Amino acid sequence: MNRKFLTAFLLLALPAFSQTGSQWVLLKSSLTYHVTHPMHQIDGVSHAAKGKGTCHAGICDFLIAAPVNTFDTGDSNRDLHMLQVTRGAQFPMIIVRTRLPEAAIPSGAIYADLEVQFAGQTVTYKHVALEKKTNGNEVEITGTIPLKCTDFKLDPPSFLTVPIKNEIPVRVDMTWQRM
Amino acid sequence: MVIGKFALCCCVLSAPFLSTAQTVPVAPPTESSIAPPVSLVNDDLPSAPEPSEELAQAAQQNQPAQTKPGSPPSLSDLGFTSQQTQANAQLQAMLDRRTHMLKVHQRLGVITLIPMAATVITGPMVGAKGKNGEPITEPSQANLDFHAALGGVTTGLYFTTAYYAMFAPKVPETKRRGAIRYHEALAFIHGPGMIATPILGYMAYKQENAGEKVHGIASAHGAVAWTTVSAYGASIVAVSWPIKLKFWGNQ
Repeated sequence: MNRKFLTAFLLLALPAFSQTGSQWVLLKSSLTYHVTHPMHQIDGVSHAAKGKGTCHAGICDFLIAAPVNTFDTGDSNRDLHMLQVTRGAQFPMIIVRTRLPEAAIPSGAIYADLEVQFAGQTVTYKHVALEKKTNGNEVEITGTIPLKCTDFKLDPPSFLTVPIKNEIPVRVDMTWQRM
Repeated sequence: MVIGKFALCCCVLSAPFLSTAQTVPVAPPTESSIAPPVSLVNDDLPSAPEPSEELAQAAQQNQPAQTKPGSPPSLSDLGFTSQQTQANAQLQAMLDRRTHMLKVHQRLGVITLIPMAATVITGPMVGAKGKNGEPITEPSQANLDFHAALGGVTTGLYFTTAYYAMFAPKVPETKRRGAIRYHEALAFIHGPGMIATPILGYMAYKQENAGEKVHGIASAHGAVAWTTVSAYGASIVAVSWPIKLKFWGNQ
């Protein structure tokens, strides 16, 4: 009787042991894009990103998304123009996906392949360096995604007929918590 | 009995394998590469959803869904509202039209500066010169006509420029912030100024042609014109503010 009980227990428990799934949740974030023009230096910031990470069998899949219309440069006219240029009403979200080995998260610097979905295009930036600070159950990750207008088929906006610089790096500062 | 034990053993050993998913190791990252739209170069990465109305409809449920163990999180897991994720073709069309009209407004606004500056420069050439008791020098008819023509061109271009700003679509629920507020506020100075200046100019022109010294309200033509031009120039600077000169080479 005891043997049967033990066998049944093992049968039921083993799948649970093999699934070392853990989840990460984005607590707070700051995404900042930087635009360079001969006459202007502009930063657009969004704190509205949401993110989630699921780990399974030693691999973690992360998803971070932010509505394009939440980026704020302090000038409503410019923000609306940005929304038009990036086709932000048609493609309202900027979505970043990445996959990391679970063991890489508590270790030193992270080098991630980031799949960025934005303005109707999907672009993968490989080997993006991210700095990490661990504070108890929370991990703060900072880094810069080297976005370019041409990668997403965006017409660089111009002011007084001079277009902005092609590079629009996005600085990310995120605090994740393991659930 | 032996077969039963063997089957039990197989079940116990195979259970972990059956429950494990996505054990594909991540390939070491190499140099940056750009994937073509839709299809991904790196098959290891999870496929991203298409940002379309279908996606938005899927996300309409609003409630953050529970991710199944082993499956990558999806947009619907994050808890965005359907308003945030739903594509809005009408709004995009409105934004496109707005940008087009404001681009024309910007170009015409800068072009208007040329005849406006020329009108201001030629202004002093069309006033009668000479103090009381001295012989008065009347301006030539050609100078008067040239100045009046420049004024006419300026006025025409100005109101065409204004049309593109006034009739550009207004995006609902947008609170005006930043330099645009000053740009728009200054229009309340140069707008009436651009109406008054040609009227006063016409009055002055008629008085000059009648051989009279410009008098009455028409004598304010110059002052009103300068105020208008100053407000117009300030309006251009305001919409460009803050100006931080930085050329590519300086970085």
